[in-house]
Amino acid sequence: MFMCKDVVENIMGYIDCELDLQTLKELEKHTGDCPECMTFVNTYKRMLEITGKLKNKPFVTPEIRNRLKILLKSKVKPV
Amino acid sequence: MEIGFIKKLINVIVSNDNEQTTGISDDELVRRFTQLGDESSFEEIVNRYSDRIYGFALRITRNTSDAEEVFQEVFLTLTKKLHTFRGDSKFSSWLYRVTVNTSYMYLRSQKKHENNISLENYAPYDEKGTLMGRIMYKDWSSRPDIIIFNKEAVVIIEKAINELPESYRTVFHLRDIEGLSNEEVGNILEISIPAVKSRLHRARLFLRDKLSDYFYEWRR
Repeated sequence: MFMCKDVVENIMGYIDCELDLQTLKELEKHTGDCPECMTFVNTYKRMLEITGKLKNKPFVTPEIRNRLKILLKSKVKPV
Repeated sequence: MEIGFIKKLINVIVSNDNEQTTGISDDELVRRFTQLGDESSFEEIVNRYSDRIYGFALRITRNTSDAEEVFQEVFLTLTKKLHTFRGDSKFSSWLYRVTVNTSYMYLRSQKKHENNISLENYAPYDEKGTLMGRIMYKDWSSRPDIIIFNKEAVVIIEKAINELPESYRTVFHLRDIEGLSNEEVGNILEISIPAVKSRLHRARLFLRDKLSDYFYEWRR
């Protein structure tokens, strides 16, 4: 019998469309009947949306870049 | 590496605009730099990967000063070791690998050891395998984007990611933030694909819970 635990443990395969047909059917049937699991799946997807937004976050400021330049200069010793 | 060549290289490294190299593949940039001495190719590598290297170093070290030390060391290493890149893997994977190794060496040198707690048993369900009474009361899935994607939420998720043990944090960063494949993450971290999947799974469960706590508290 498909349980909440099975939804949780198969969620990655579900999101990545990697489940076999039988498991997919059972997961969707259980989720359709179980509001806790439906909420779990929906919040899981929302969490992935949020973390996906972090990809384009800029990190390196002009100051950091400039300090890199200075460091490289300092490492070059006179011949 | 010739001294004169490095001098020329550091004079172009701050530029952000180089029309001659922006459309060129990573492998070709490496070839031009190592075989032809084309410093603008190195400049383009710096431009392409600065944010990713610094961001990954920051994820591992969780400290901006440490991350910058690693960031600088990675580029210093590149000026000396780029010729050792053989093209057996994607250049980006090789560069992430250099960043991982540099980060670990740096943290060891600073005696900054992190206790790597296992999340292998982390799960939202109870001992009977049910979620009953554990998820729905914290449902935030229908919250409008303006709330979900605000700056405070980003701070919260960053904090939550940094609460992950290091071995889960690095997998999550490369897979879900950088968008690399399981195979690439496995190659970079030198772990099996099942290990990548397992760590990613537990990291996601942990983060979903953390976000649920945050949005539930926010509503009250």
